[in-house]
Amino acid sequence: MGNVMSFLDTLFGKRERSSDIARDRLLTVLVHDRVKLTPDMMEQLKADLSAVIARYVPSVDAGAIEVTLLRGESVDHLKADIPLRRTTQKF
Amino acid sequence: MSRVITITSGKGGVGKTTSTANLGAALAMQGLKVAVVDADIGLRNLDVVMGLENRIVYDLVDVVEGRCRLRQALIKDKHLPDLCLLPAAQTRDKDAVTADDMIALANQLRAEFDYVLIDSPAGIEAGFRNAIAGADEVLIVTTPEVAAVRDADRIIGLVEAFEKGHPRLIINRLKPRMVSRGEMMSIDDVLQILAIDLIGVVPEDEQIVTSTNRGEVAVLDRSSRAGRAFSEIARRLAGEDVPITVFDENPGILNRIFGAFGIRARGSER
Ligand SMILES: Nc1ncnc2c1ncn2[C@@H]1O[C@H](COP(=O)(O)OP(=O)(O)OP(=O)(O)O)[C@@H](O)[C@H]1O
Ligand SMILES: [Mg+2]
Repeated sequence: MGNVMSFLDTLFGKRERSSDIARDRLLTVLVHDRVKLTPDMMEQLKADLSAVIARYVPSVDAGAIEVTLLRGESVDHLKADIPLRRTTQKF
Repeated sequence: MSRVITITSGKGGVGKTTSTANLGAALAMQGLKVAVVDADIGLRNLDVVMGLENRIVYDLVDVVEGRCRLRQALIKDKHLPDLCLLPAAQTRDKDAVTADDMIALANQLRAEFDYVLIDSPAGIEAGFRNAIAGADEVLIVTTPEVAAVRDADRIIGLVEAFEKGHPRLIINRLKPRMVSRGEMMSIDDVLQILAIDLIGVVPEDEQIVTSTNRGEVAVLDRSSRAGRAFSEIARRLAGEDVPITVFDENPGILNRIFGAFGIRARGSER
């Protein structure tokens, strides 16, 4: 599947730029380096987060949670982006 | 007020020695008195990059262990009368000096020179700690590659932990063409990840190889793009406000046409 996708992406000129891949890999590896958080623990963190959020906000989209590490001036930030499904409510 | 500046990196081979030699020469060309110190004990390199390897009598460890006076170990540059080299010992290892020795040495050099540039070994071990011990400021060299940037991040943390202030970054061996094709991380990518101040960008330049072969530094060669980049970094170090220029590879046909209309062709400001 991944291979077919990357073949198609290449065919249609959509292949991800290697500089973007480098940047993303660096961000991931630095999370590990700085916070000593392995990719496995990161996945676990996301799962736990979504479970907690789901207790309060049922519309949480567990699979779409993004946790990233940003470096600030003096502190780093572990930032979670938790998308909520928009429920089709009638007003 | 003299300044002691250590040039270091996490990953090896990213251009510390090249940067030290070129920045030292560029500062000396501005009429400043400069000493460059090879603190890579056991892996002496700065002397060959500067073409001074045949003039060495005493070295840093001889000074530290009191076998000679500092003056006797300092080697005058071939071209620049205001530039001196203090070579590393080749036959000793890094345990031959301590951090306190390096602090004392830096203070001795302060009395004689405006700038003292220390070429550090790569890594996070004793050699690196000794090299930054006597420094007021630190410059970190990286290339725009995953492993080098990762290791730079580690070093930045250590430098800050040693209370050497905020280090500044030199991005070396940038290939502007690859960046524009999305095949190499850009200056902004690297800065975003490392979140430190940039002091300059040095392009990949074959003339670094040829000038190193000759034992002449690139800043002496006006046609070298890397040399020009180092000269600008030296001016920034000395406090001048010089916009950061990325010296592109041989300007393509488009650049030449624009160049004919007086549009900055060889460099583009960030
Ligand atoms: N801008 C550049 N363009 C082309 N080649 C370069 C450039 N900068 C450095 N080099 C080459 O890269 C190699 C490594 O450079 P240098 O010895 O300065 O690195 P270093 O960080 O001091 O290495 P070490 O960690 O072993 O001390 C040398 O062969 C040098 O000529
Ligand atoms: Mg070196």
